[in-house]
Amino acid sequence: MPRTYAVTSLKGAHVLLTGATGFIGQAVLERLLADHPDTRVSLLLRGRGGCGGRDRLVRLLRKDVFRRWHERPGGDDELADAARRVQVVEGDLESVTGLPDDLDTVIHCASAVTFDPPIDEAFGSNVAGAVRLCEQLARQPVPPHLVYVSTAYVSAPGHGTVREEPLRHTVDWRQELAASQTVRAEVERDSRRPEVLRRLLREADRAHAPCGNQVVAGHAEEARRAWVARRLVAYGRARANALGWTDVYTCTKALAERATEESWAGRPLTVLRPAIVESALHHPYPGWIDGHKMLDPLIIDYGTGAMWDLPGDPDAVLDVIPADLVVNAILAAAAATPPADAPHYFHVGSGAGNPLTYGAFHDHLDAYFTRHPLPDPSGRGHLRHARWRFQSPARVRTALDLADRVVAAAGSALEWLPGGERVQERDRALRHRRGELARQRHYFEVYQPYTGAQGRYDDRELMALHRSLPPELAAERGFDARGLDWRGYLEEVHCPAVTRRLRDAMGSRGAAAGRGRAAPRALPPAGDVAAVFDLDGTVVAADMVESYLWARLGSGSLPGHAAELLDLARAVPRYLRAERADRAAFVRAFLRRYQGADAAALRNLVRDALADALLRRVLPEAVRRAREHRAAGHRTVLVTGSLDLLVEPLRPLFDDIVACRMESRGGVLSGRLVAPPVVGEARAAWLREYAREHGLSLRRSYAYADSYSDRPFLASVGRPCAVNPDLRLYRYAARRHWPVVRWGAHAGTRWEALTETVRAGDASTATRSYA
Amino acid sequence: MSRPGLVLEVDERTPPLLVCEGEGFRLEQLPHGARVVYPPACLPGIRDLDAAITRALHQPHGSDPLPALLRPGMRLTIVFDDLSLPLPPMRSPDIRQRIIEHVLELAAAHRVDDVELIAANALHRRMTPAELRHVVGDRVFRSFFPRHLRNHDAEDQENLLHLGQTGHGEDVEINRRAAESDLIVYVNITLVAMNGGSKSVSVGLASYRSLRHHHNVDTLRGSRSFNDPARSAMHHSYDRMQDLIGGQVRVFTIETALNNDAFPQPLGFLSKREWEWNAADQAAFIGARRGSRLLSPALRRRAFHRVAAPWGVTSVAAGAPSAVHPITLRHVHRQQVTPVSGQADVGVFGVPYLCPYNVNSVMNPILVASMGLGYLFNMYLNKPIVRRGGVGIFYHPLPNEFHTVHHPSYLDFYEDVLTQSTDPAVVESKFEEQFATDPWYVHLYRRSYAYHGVHPFYMWYWCAHAREHLGDVIFVGADPAVASRLGFRAASTLADALQLASHTVGGSPEITYLHAPPLTLADVS
Repeated sequence: MPRTYAVTSLKGAHVLLTGATGFIGQAVLERLLADHPDTRVSLLLRGRGGCGGRDRLVRLLRKDVFRRWHERPGGDDELADAARRVQVVEGDLESVTGLPDDLDTVIHCASAVTFDPPIDEAFGSNVAGAVRLCEQLARQPVPPHLVYVSTAYVSAPGHGTVREEPLRHTVDWRQELAASQTVRAEVERDSRRPEVLRRLLREADRAHAPCGNQVVAGHAEEARRAWVARRLVAYGRARANALGWTDVYTCTKALAERATEESWAGRPLTVLRPAIVESALHHPYPGWIDGHKMLDPLIIDYGTGAMWDLPGDPDAVLDVIPADLVVNAILAAAAATPPADAPHYFHVGSGAGNPLTYGAFHDHLDAYFTRHPLPDPSGRGHLRHARWRFQSPARVRTALDLADRVVAAAGSALEWLPGGERVQERDRALRHRRGELARQRHYFEVYQPYTGAQGRYDDRELMALHRSLPPELAAERGFDARGLDWRGYLEEVHCPAVTRRLRDAMGSRGAAAGRGRAAPRALPPAGDVAAVFDLDGTVVAADMVESYLWARLGSGSLPGHAAELLDLARAVPRYLRAERADRAAFVRAFLRRYQGADAAALRNLVRDALADALLRRVLPEAVRRAREHRAAGHRTVLVTGSLDLLVEPLRPLFDDIVACRMESRGGVLSGRLVAPPVVGEARAAWLREYAREHGLSLRRSYAYADSYSDRPFLASVGRPCAVNPDLRLYRYAARRHWPVVRWGAHAGTRWEALTETVRAGDASTATRSYA
Repeated sequence: MSRPGLVLEVDERTPPLLVCEGEGFRLEQLPHGARVVYPPACLPGIRDLDAAITRALHQPHGSDPLPALLRPGMRLTIVFDDLSLPLPPMRSPDIRQRIIEHVLELAAAHRVDDVELIAANALHRRMTPAELRHVVGDRVFRSFFPRHLRNHDAEDQENLLHLGQTGHGEDVEINRRAAESDLIVYVNITLVAMNGGSKSVSVGLASYRSLRHHHNVDTLRGSRSFNDPARSAMHHSYDRMQDLIGGQVRVFTIETALNNDAFPQPLGFLSKREWEWNAADQAAFIGARRGSRLLSPALRRRAFHRVAAPWGVTSVAAGAPSAVHPITLRHVHRQQVTPVSGQADVGVFGVPYLCPYNVNSVMNPILVASMGLGYLFNMYLNKPIVRRGGVGIFYHPLPNEFHTVHHPSYLDFYEDVLTQSTDPAVVESKFEEQFATDPWYVHLYRRSYAYHGVHPFYMWYWCAHAREHLGDVIFVGADPAVASRLGFRAASTLADALQLASHTVGGSPEITYLHAPPLTLADVS
């Protein structure tokens, strides 16, 4: 038999609310302000990002949950009046101090709600936080009524009925809490073991070697931190599983219940366990939701077709409950103070009285997206979703493993292709697919316990509480989900609410796709700004090998250089490997090919034949950009690993050219460079020095380059731009939101430049013989 | 006596007619009643050219014979038309080579040692050594290049000479070597009526300072047409400048006129009337069309630019420019003029793969516009073939292609200027000076093979008269984005173009197609 409850009123009460910025917390606050005009409210709010607790309240009052207030005439003033009843206590659960001493009720909503946080954070927020709150509240002259908002899933929904009573387990929360707080130090220590560091360094070197040691070391350290985070998550999940919970969230919530029961023993306590909380049914308005909750990413991925199946039992109960019913239940429970020795326990869900099966949930999604498909982001029609087949977990896991391998192999293969627009498009698609697969795996691992649950959460106590509401309030402030029409709620309220923002974003992306690329921004005039251009691939479409061929073929007949060309062809794989590993070493090795060349003859050849080959391969957009920079008063600089003799034709475009200079003995090039080539990491260092020397602001300067080895160089200015980037630079630029441009629509082809050079070289040779 | 020009009225017996569209051509079935203007049949060329040249040099018009003008110790400058003439280039030996060799022999005979040869390229790109060799021949090239055979440099301030101003305040500044010579011998090819005469020296050896007085929107709009010197404000300016030049330096001009033999076999069908095509012509047409479609754009362009025309020379006349040019013009008219009765509502023009400024290069969208709305539209005497407010329909795919070495300022003009305005007057007032004096373009013009920075503006002004005259301009088969950038409309077929044109000229317009090639000058009454 359920108990009998006396729901009084919160009139005149002083309520402390924790977690007011969270999904449930903000709805509770709104309801307290809207329906309980005589209730004083205190919020435990911590400052964040330079914003104090009071500022956070101001921001909170601007959120959608208060939309109805803002929309109605005079609503803003009413809200401002209501907010005067709210007192902010600056602080958080780690340092709860300064609480008012006349609290009547405490609603504890604050919690870490992700399923797989690192173990120390999960225990710290959920268990230690609850304990500290109880310790602080224990100092109150009159112990307030503590309403602890937990989750129904603290009891694994296996088979049978879960009653509204204390949890049955013998886990020592103190021991688990203490152990969780030592894990981080242990994992940090492990992460610094030489074998782990060597492996991380090796992996970073493989991926980022062309960028230099600093970048490689930075990536290795980043990977170490990620490794620590992953380990802490793995520790949490493994410990939760070992103790009988599905994940660390439910485990810590369960232990927090026990910790609260013990810490608040002999004082009034209510434990309220909502199930899967989703958008509001009526209040503050139908469909209100703050961000994406548990089911929502899954709903969206279903609509986009990214989620092609999720194992589960179609007959299993998915215990969904609208947020406003949960809020009503919390406030009703808060107004029904239990005796000090007999805490109240409530399950707030729908599974007992109005179960929504997993199969029916899927059918509603299917019906909704069939009628309202999501727009295609490219602006071409709509996306198609796939009906789930509820395959076995083993089958889905196999399919996911296979898909992961295929995507990884395709990603690696792409890195060997030249970084054209099509390759970048494929890479974008692969990255998108990789994200989808990762999410799918996440759903698969996290949701499986919920989509296979055969049991149900008893709600007889909750119904008794509902029945004890004053009749005139039952309709508006009730929380009985038995009358809930799932089709209406899911298809007309929840799914539209969840997909609204996505539809807006996709619509605008589609429209943007139709408009094409935005015009380049005008350059602000400035005297202390540099625009630094890389040469190969950025200003000209050619590379060092191609310009070497021009020099060779332009200076005489082909047969004379056949052996040389054959040797070059044989060396190409070696050069390619060298370039991937160390750009500077490659430059030095390649430029040695000019050893023995007559410097004066080479200079003449550049003037007579190579200059036009260079201009034939020049990217007109680069020239235009350099000229725009110059018109804006910027200092234009060309920096390259090529020989200075070869880039002479571009001198009028730039204030400075930094290129390799080769030793010359008696007018013959020695093959040795006078100074190390300014490439890779050295280029960034050179630029810093150059800026210092010329009084330039690097933060306002521009850099243009095409290769991943230029990453440190690009990163050293405030306005980097990736030009026709190779795949790795493209990926990095996309991650850093750097502009990526495709230049060279009108540049001549390799073949045209080469044949024209040979012809010009012939004419030049003939000319010299006649002159 | 060859057959005169013809205006064909299309009826059910008329076969589909050849229309050029860039590096391709199509057979188009024109609506019944449309008129097609063909030039007179190809005139025979002079058989013994050497004799004709000798005769011209010894029996000049309005001047003493050339040998009488030559003396030891004099400064002789031989100036010749650049690679923009003729189109397509002439098969070797080029007529300029023959004439120059004759002149050099006479000079040598008269012990004239100080001889310079200058290509009159004005603001055009420099000719490459290979192109110079093609024009002057191997023997002359070997003897004179590079120190005594060179391109005119319109930005070499030290080697320009300001000769003064005309009565209209027009600056006359030309090549210093030529201006300070005792004699300029100008070797010309007059392909169309616009060429030759006063234009040769006053334009070919001039600088921007001088050229801007006639290469501007106002003058071009007042030249109706610029192929009709008597009615061309541009030619009036040339004449004034030539008068000033003639007062300071003696000019002996040798002008030549060509027939219409513009294409060698197997492209000979391009110069024939379609109903006279034999089986070989038809096979050649199919082969050329299919073949060009199979080639990549670069290879196709290369193949077309390798075409060297057999051109026959119909006239060689020498002497004073003012006396020689009317004779040359008579021969040009004899080959090209076809009387046409009345103007049409719609003029149709096929734009070929070549214009004076893309020899061995890319015909970019601005050059297409200039060729269509400038050169082809202006192939008239008296009145344009299309009435004022009528519609011009042009055929060209208008690909967004540019040659980065030859046309760097064109690309910037396309991207930076045409995006702001297509109105020639606005473009002229807002941007011309900036492009004309840009140091980067000047550098490329002088050191590389680029057209001068201001050249795309001139091409745009070339269209000014047509743009003002026509109510609408439609390009068939064009890239719509490019057509739109140029301020034109694009249609996929002639039927679509006529549908678009119907908003301007109604549903049953009178249509006249100026068939080219061969070159036709419509004398519209």
